[in-house]
Amino acid sequence: MAAKKLSESFSKRLIDEVQRWGAMKQTGVSLRYMMEFGSTPTDRNLLISAQFLHKELPIRIARRAIELETLPYGLSQKPAILKVRDWYLDSFRDLRSFPEIKDTNDELEFTQMIKMIKVRHNTVVPTMALGVQQLKKGLNPKIDYEDLDEIHQFLDRFYMSRIGIRMLIGQHVVLHDPNPPDCVGYIHTKMSPVEVARTASEDARSICLREYGSAPDVKVYGDPSFTFPYVPTHLHLMVFELVKNSLRAVQERFMDSDKIAPCVRIIVADGIEDVSDEGGGIPRSGLPKIFTYLYSTAKNPLDEQSDLLTANVSTMAGYGYGLPISRLYARYFGGDLQIISMEGYGTDAYLHLSRLGDSQEPLP
Amino acid sequence: MAAKKLYESFSKTLIDEVQRWGAMKQTGVSLRYMMEFGSTPTHRNLLISAQFLQKELSIRIARRAIELDTLPYGLSQKPAILQVRDWYLDSFRDLRSFPEIKDTNDEVEFTQMIKMIKVRHNNVVPTMALGVQQLKKALNPKIDYEDLDDIHQFLDRFYLSRIGIRMLIGQHVALHDPNPPPNCVGYIHTKMSPVEVARTASEDARSICLREYGSAPDITIYGDPNFTFPYVPTHLHLMVFELVKNSLRAVQERFMDSDKIAPPIRIIVADGIEDVTIKVSDEGGGIPRSGLPKIFTYLYSTAKNPLDEQSDLLTANVATMAGYGYGLPISRLYARYFGGDLQMISMEGYGTDAYLHLSRLGDSQEPLP
Repeated sequence: MAAKKLSESFSKRLIDEVQRWGAMKQTGVSLRYMMEFGSTPTDRNLLISAQFLHKELPIRIARRAIELETLPYGLSQKPAILKVRDWYLDSFRDLRSFPEIKDTNDELEFTQMIKMIKVRHNTVVPTMALGVQQLKKGLNPKIDYEDLDEIHQFLDRFYMSRIGIRMLIGQHVVLHDPNPPDCVGYIHTKMSPVEVARTASEDARSICLREYGSAPDVKVYGDPSFTFPYVPTHLHLMVFELVKNSLRAVQERFMDSDKIAPCVRIIVADGIEDVSDEGGGIPRSGLPKIFTYLYSTAKNPLDEQSDLLTANVSTMAGYGYGLPISRLYARYFGGDLQIISMEGYGTDAYLHLSRLGDSQEPLP
Repeated sequence: MAAKKLYESFSKTLIDEVQRWGAMKQTGVSLRYMMEFGSTPTHRNLLISAQFLQKELSIRIARRAIELDTLPYGLSQKPAILQVRDWYLDSFRDLRSFPEIKDTNDEVEFTQMIKMIKVRHNNVVPTMALGVQQLKKALNPKIDYEDLDDIHQFLDRFYLSRIGIRMLIGQHVALHDPNPPPNCVGYIHTKMSPVEVARTASEDARSICLREYGSAPDITIYGDPNFTFPYVPTHLHLMVFELVKNSLRAVQERFMDSDKIAPPIRIIVADGIEDVTIKVSDEGGGIPRSGLPKIFTYLYSTAKNPLDEQSDLLTANVATMAGYGYGLPISRLYARYFGGDLQMISMEGYGTDAYLHLSRLGDSQEPLP
């Protein structure tokens, strides 16, 4: 499916509409608001929500479509990037051509439509990664990709926006199902970070076992009965990534040694998770790179032949997306991810989660 | 000693010279260079060093004198600031009026002169602190001093420069010592063991804690005592002392009235290829993320402020557990001086980790603000 030039596939009218909507102001929502609003999913509330999304989603999607067209270094012309741009334009068109939402029937149809939009965009991350790789191949090999700062900043904005769009869509869709106890859509009102950390570490350990035949221990310290409202899938993803990195570092350091591998320690302190390992650490000069896209100390498993539909995170390392994207998830609800390393010893990762839930979504 | 206006005390020629020298380019030196140069303190090398310093110190001192005159919010007119400015101008005058250094006699006299300059500036830090306090009193009390960002940035530059000036002077003077301790090149210990320095600094901090609170949490140090690298032990001692002092106080205050045993403060010394990192971890309850930016500002302190106009500045020293609000920002400057850094991460409700990064290779040029 060759991606054609913008003017060939999409009418001038559409392009003008994209420009217009891309200039409109975005409206952010806080986790607390999502929780309060979604706790009473009446027909009326779902109608209000759908009408809000009918306006808000085109603004956010148009903004990203415009940015995809204007990337530096010729990135916008790379086949994989053109593909993603087309997805965004198709989704924009679907939203703009949907008629005014007047009643529950309209609302149900709208919900179905945005569900399909979400599915359409499922593989955006690996496709964008492919596009960046296509760019790297085309560039002078002496240029360090970590230096392409504008691209990294663009990707940060782009993926952050995607997290928001998918959160809004997903939340709206899932509110049509009856809420399991203590849940409001994706939000668990009484999420235990200790429990999520345990599950995520076990998942990370099983991958490590599969790849290396053994895995260092992971200990989780903290109060299991401490809970707060958050999105468990987000936290799972972040802890999983951090523990994966720690396990790999410790495993590679102690694999051929007589010493017992020191365990990876996770401390959960009222909204902060500290994942500590003794895997040898990273020199300070190497730290800025770890948050760039496509920096990885592992052999790169991503290439044009791989089947993007099966590309997933069940490898120990390689995409170079784990840390930057985890940080975006943390920042999405007003938190952050900091990595401090002690070269020769190990690395500590601090996942700060905002407990109050009052932060507005960041709207890049 | 009332500080008068600039043109009343100092001649126009001097003021013009200050402007001229303050515009010249500064020359930085690396720790490695200081070490290599200072390892052969021949008469000839000391002469070269003195001639370099006569120029370089004039440039650095003039730069700071000019900045002191042009501070925002009327800070430059505060009495304490005027006093510091006068010290800088006096020192500049001493340097510029010293004749050309041609032989060892000149060099020995020059060394004596810059030794006196260093002594003159001994109390700059508390005097500047007093000046900032004088400013705070005069300002609208609703303004949060942490928001005075220009002042903080100025103080960072100013104190960092002072560290450099005192290092250069001190190093030159120390090279005249006929009986240097083994493995030392002036202030630099070529085989400094960070574990040893950390032990000494923690013990010093513990004794202050004991004195103030009657008890002190334990401190455990992990790391290879045989690992050494070239560094300035007094700098490291100052930094570790400040960090451990903060940790001890936090833990002490958290567990003082509790049945639980105070958890020990843990220090880890990690030696890498490029970096040496010292981590000081405590379980003293932590700092909320919103409070973190403040801890590196000057005059922010969670303790009662022991600094006021009546106190005898000559006895103002760091032998109190807390209060000046200078410990962390100045420790960070020392760390950055040789290409390192100081980072604090806190976990509210649990504790704080301080990471002292030191560059192992010693190749960084002095930062020259």
